[in-house]
Amino acid sequence: MNALVLAAAVLAAPAVTHGSGGVTTIVQADAAAPLVHVDYVVRAGLDRQLLTQNGIAALTAESLLRSPVNGVPLQDAVAAAGGSISFVVDPSDVRFEIEALPEDASRVFGLVHTAFSAPVFDPATVKAARDKLITRIAENQQVALQVGIDMLNSTLASSANAGLPQYGIPASLIQLGPGDVHAFFSTYYVQGGSFVSAVGRVDALSGGALDDLAGMLPAGSTQPVAVNLPKLEGTSRHLVAERNITSPWLIAQYPAPAITSKDFGPMLVLSAFMQRTLSDMVEMPGVISPTFASNAIGAVYQFQGAEPNLVLYVNGGIGDPQRSFLTALSIASILSSTKLEGSIDDFKTMAEGDFLTNASSLESRAWLAVLYEENGGEADYVTRTMDAISQTTAADLQRVARSYLGNPTIALVLPREDS
Amino acid sequence: MRAGPLTAAALAVLLAPLAASAAAMSSSGSLPHGGVYTMTEDPTVPSAAVDLWFRAPSDGYDGSSQGISRFAATAAAATTLSGGRSLVALIRSVGGSLAIDVYPDMVGVSADVPASAARRVVAAMSSAYFAPAITDDGLKIARTDLAVLSAQQRYYADDLVHNALFAQLFTSGPAHVAAIPDDLGPIKSITLEAANAFAKRAFRSANATFTLAGNVDPALLDAVTEGSPGAPDQPVVSPVAADPQSKTIDAAVPGQGVAWTGPPISDERAATAMDFVADYLFREGTGVITKTIDPTSDNYLDGQFITLRNPGVMLVSIGGSGSSAIEAQVVSAVEGMRKPLDPAAFAAAREAFLYHLASDSQTPDEQAANLGWYAVEGNPSYAPSSGDSAYWKAARSLDPDYVASVVKKYLTHPVEVHLITETTKDTAS
Repeated sequence: MNALVLAAAVLAAPAVTHGSGGVTTIVQADAAAPLVHVDYVVRAGLDRQLLTQNGIAALTAESLLRSPVNGVPLQDAVAAAGGSISFVVDPSDVRFEIEALPEDASRVFGLVHTAFSAPVFDPATVKAARDKLITRIAENQQVALQVGIDMLNSTLASSANAGLPQYGIPASLIQLGPGDVHAFFSTYYVQGGSFVSAVGRVDALSGGALDDLAGMLPAGSTQPVAVNLPKLEGTSRHLVAERNITSPWLIAQYPAPAITSKDFGPMLVLSAFMQRTLSDMVEMPGVISPTFASNAIGAVYQFQGAEPNLVLYVNGGIGDPQRSFLTALSIASILSSTKLEGSIDDFKTMAEGDFLTNASSLESRAWLAVLYEENGGEADYVTRTMDAISQTTAADLQRVARSYLGNPTIALVLPREDS
Repeated sequence: MRAGPLTAAALAVLLAPLAASAAAMSSSGSLPHGGVYTMTEDPTVPSAAVDLWFRAPSDGYDGSSQGISRFAATAAAATTLSGGRSLVALIRSVGGSLAIDVYPDMVGVSADVPASAARRVVAAMSSAYFAPAITDDGLKIARTDLAVLSAQQRYYADDLVHNALFAQLFTSGPAHVAAIPDDLGPIKSITLEAANAFAKRAFRSANATFTLAGNVDPALLDAVTEGSPGAPDQPVVSPVAADPQSKTIDAAVPGQGVAWTGPPISDERAATAMDFVADYLFREGTGVITKTIDPTSDNYLDGQFITLRNPGVMLVSIGGSGSSAIEAQVVSAVEGMRKPLDPAAFAAAREAFLYHLASDSQTPDEQAANLGWYAVEGNPSYAPSSGDSAYWKAARSLDPDYVASVVKKYLTHPVEVHLITETTKDTAS
């Protein structure tokens, strides 16, 4: 056990309770935090949508945020009470992120409870939600990396609906009305499989507040809607899109292991190594400050969700994109084909540091605990990750590189000719 | 948020206090060999922020070396220490990150590292700065670093607008010139001797505040082995223009901005009222003016009150094809704030403001930067990160009439700058 693992061991593990309705409650008390943060995760994500309902998961979540409480949309009422509420739609669930000042926590969570217990999906509320989503979609379309990752995710998903874009598309959203939202909410907003993950000043919540949240939806459980489409036949693994951007982006996606896999630790080490190597490759030698170039190339291990993957990306604005990209791909190829000599301890230390320094915000602590609890039934994300990295050997690294880094799917996001 | 590195970092520091928390463990005191520290402990997080903050003029002690503070701070971080590695190499090797932030009157060196590496980083940071011995290699890296930053800065409208507005508001001193020069001439002429001389004076322990946050404890400071007792430098002063003028400037990118001088940091309630106004009007996503900007357009706005010793500055930078209309809207909205807000709207806005303050400073790196900024600006007890901070008392005491009176007192005569490019000129003619 190295020094970092030792340090992690003294952190208190999250406290996990499994409720009778299938709700899992996770608590990480932090008396020094300035806020109380709760992730409320409901099994009402993309894989509960029919293909003809593209966007209904997001439309329902956004409508909930706008559902009036005492005549004021929930999110405005929460803001005026000293908190915030937002959501993320994932392939299998929708995650509401709720925060409050400690002294306002009871009020804020009371508002959330009221709205979720009896939401109002009238035409005006749903229209406002739809308008907001259409704006968000337009914003996302300007982010080339997001466009590329969305395209790649759609090809990776084993169920076609789980690969749909987070917010849907405008053409399908305009077909969806209050009746659809009400039906989706009634069917999928149930307790079974949900999580309440609280971090920070949990002591500020009134007794039973988390239980109230856990029980605010009806009992029941749901299953994903299986939508299996025949795979497209063909040899090309290239996807191309054009957007109003100034420089091309090249993005490669490789399948990657899940948190529960024995390959999880080695892939974390591999991705940390690739991230550092790619940054070093494009930066001027020795430059200390983060620059445009350091944000223009990188590797991201997306270990959440049913289809974990590793993404390499290059923004062509840093020069010859093809050269940078081929170099990035060649790093993956070399790792999988060349015997690694020497110690990998430095890579492991980097991977540990990368993980730990990204696990300090309330938001990431709440979400990581859920992710690890649902993948392996153990929410102690710090200890599990440090153990996984610590046990990684050079042979593991090479095996994982060989197993996963062979045949990427590549997305090219190009500037439109007139942009 | 659409902001260049300088303004983004400043915003994080300025709008980032912590809610008072009875259980947050805060402490402060003297370093073993001169200088002071302040820290906030949170044993439940796995990382630590280790910062060093110094009071130092960005253009040198005689005002003739624009950029020298950034140059020397970077060179010190890049110079190989007795352990065989530079500070930056050590931090990267443990999976952490290093940031150097330079303002007209101060330098901040910030490390975000896993908690188990904090002791080694404290030792290396104190060695690199309290006993600087910058080498040719360190100097070379600093030159490259500044060349890259300088080139980038030419294309960041926010930074250009910020620098241009400060040049109009202050007649001389470091606030009058950019902390990173556009022209690399001054940097090229800095010798190894000059860099070391500046570093030895500016970065001496007596002039330093170590700020630590996250999974840290006072025992870490035993790792500080360098330094010597003494007094810190006096605040760095930049004279304020009596009648600042608006200006149009040639630049590589278009943009515009507007600024007002505001209350000093010592007027805690008034400075907090300015933060409230900036939050209410300009905060990303929730600001009254920000919300009117179509997020799918090329228009953007970044507004903040910069808390400084004297005076503070309310600064708004604007860009995009509709920037002139947005600027008119900004000025009009600020004028509108001279009238007290409706009590119910004010109460909701103040509650939202308090939440934003806490939300923006929940991670160790944000907390350490917050502590450092307020210490160097001369009012550490106003640092919002302190458990019983004066900041929070001031924020909770705000009322509509008082905020309106502060707006009336300070936000009356805005200074404007416009960046115009060759293309803009061609279109205009």
